[in-house]
Amino acid sequence: MSTLKHKGKGPQSLTANTLRDGLNVWLTPDFDWSLKYSEALITEDDETIEKMDKIGIQSESNNVVVAPYFIDVETESGVPARYREKFRVRGPSYDTATLIPLDIQKV
Amino acid sequence: MYRYDEFDTKMVASRNAQFRAQVERRLSGALSEAEFRPLRLMNGLYLQLHAYMLRIAVPYGTLNSKQVRKLAELADKFDKGYGHITTRQNVQFNWPQLTDVPEMLEELASVEMHSIQTSGNCIRNVTSDPYAGAIADEIEDPRPTCEILRQWSTLHPEFAFLPRKFKIAVIATKKDRALIRAHDIGLEIIKNEAGETGYRVHVGGGLGRTPVLGQVLREFLPRVELLPYLEATLRIYNRYGRRDNKFKARIKILVQETGIVDFRKQVEAEYADLVPLDIAVSPEEVARITKYFAPPEYKDLEDIEVKTDDPAFARWLKHNVLPHKTPGYSIVNISLKPKDRAPGDVTSEQMRVVADLSDEFSFSEIRTTHQQNLVLPHVETAALETLYNKLSGAKMGEANIGLITDIICCPGMDFCTLATARSLPVSQAISERFWDAERQAVIGEMQIKISGCINACGHHHVGHIGILGLEKAGVEFYQVKIGGDPSENTALGQVTGPGFSQEELIDGIERMVDHYIDIREGEERFIDTVRRAGVQTFKEALHVE
Repeated sequence: MSTLKHKGKGPQSLTANTLRDGLNVWLTPDFDWSLKYSEALITEDDETIEKMDKIGIQSESNNVVVAPYFIDVETESGVPARYREKFRVRGPSYDTATLIPLDIQKV
Repeated sequence: MYRYDEFDTKMVASRNAQFRAQVERRLSGALSEAEFRPLRLMNGLYLQLHAYMLRIAVPYGTLNSKQVRKLAELADKFDKGYGHITTRQNVQFNWPQLTDVPEMLEELASVEMHSIQTSGNCIRNVTSDPYAGAIADEIEDPRPTCEILRQWSTLHPEFAFLPRKFKIAVIATKKDRALIRAHDIGLEIIKNEAGETGYRVHVGGGLGRTPVLGQVLREFLPRVELLPYLEATLRIYNRYGRRDNKFKARIKILVQETGIVDFRKQVEAEYADLVPLDIAVSPEEVARITKYFAPPEYKDLEDIEVKTDDPAFARWLKHNVLPHKTPGYSIVNISLKPKDRAPGDVTSEQMRVVADLSDEFSFSEIRTTHQQNLVLPHVETAALETLYNKLSGAKMGEANIGLITDIICCPGMDFCTLATARSLPVSQAISERFWDAERQAVIGEMQIKISGCINACGHHHVGHIGILGLEKAGVEFYQVKIGGDPSENTALGQVTGPGFSQEELIDGIERMVDHYIDIREGEERFIDTVRRAGVQTFKEALHVE
């Protein structure tokens, strides 16, 4: 049995972090991983979910991703149901990196 | 400052070589994530909400200019051009790649830095007064004690797998700038009636989901007994600390459940059984380590009064500058709390400026503070205006140290995998609302602290106003505590009631601040008025429709 914590509540997506750079990824319809949630496979189909589960385990054992897990997706909006997962999709609402360069005076 | 000896250099190099091999084995699949995770955490590498995060140790918050330049280089080469100062005086990078971390650690080793024990259930980076060695009323520079503790606790085989993490802070003044009573062990360097220097030992403090203030374990511990006594204390914790429940595993819970009297008896019994002074540091070794912290070669100057017609410079002098113990010198706080950025964030460009300014004005020394700012500890008073102008040009001239916009704030949901709500936008909204310099000065000393979850990394329990971010059904809301105090009069704040949306929160804080100004007496600070008038009247101001 999978350890990916699929609870089977409505539409699901499979997410993880890449091993090498730690960035968030989601499994796509062609069973590859994408940095874009907009390309995520979202499904309620048990057979597809079973296959996603296997791909997740395989990707982890192949050292492509870390700790894959299923997330619940809102049926109408298609966005992740949990607040935390919404944030993983959006990225930080603030990042100092976006302000660089600061246009400061060198000393 | 302390320089690595041959042992330190070998130890860090060996550890880096180990970690490089561990990363290679992880990438090849020889190590699973379950096997690798504890290894990366032992080297300060977390997997956060969006990416890896590397936490770099800054022992007792002391850096030199070469180290700061190296941090700037790493920020540019391996991260996104900035770093973050934490409440344990460490530095974090939010976006490193796993494949780059071994090289980052080797670069850090080249300037005598590392990430060891910045995570995991071990003794973490020892923190201290950021003004150590510079402030007038200290009994002695606390950093030699910190360094002895660092050497004792680094890779200590008996304490590598404690029930939970363990934090130690050391101060040497009556004024507490290191929050010692919120530490697992807080050490206060004191003198006894005979004039001997030793330690008052506090134990069992901590914030997190169960905030507890430390209690006195020993009123006076002779200097030479420090390590044996702490060894005995840690042994009791290691033996009896709970391992069945992560949330009850800190020493504060053990002390609470045992009671301080019985806990003290256990420690003293263990101490009595130790081979007398077996691991005590000899006076010669203390003297050797203390030499590393010898004062810089100050000029023979007289104290001067700086006069100015520039109101902005005058405000900076008032809020950011403190008298130094040496005539003609001052301690300068560099605020990392501009209105539009995350508290504690500093860009690589700014790091280089700080490094250059420390070379020019502060004997190449820089400190990080638990308040998430920087300090130039030894600046000639006559050079303050020049320094201020240069800091202002580098967008680090804010005159808000200790004021309402000098906010401690954790990274929150924007970066942290444990967070339940965002904290950075709240901090920015408060800064925006209260940014007017005159208004900040009128409000006076104020400590606002924000945490994005109950783990309390933003120290909200000890904020004059503490804010805790939570989430319910996809909506962030914020609970408010009032009356906490991070100073030597340490106090935990009281919860005021139901939470608010961010917008309601900022309005509520403004009402409390206005209420304080209305009812304060004389020179009362916000916290003084809360103590005199009680929390209830502020609750009413906060919750008014």
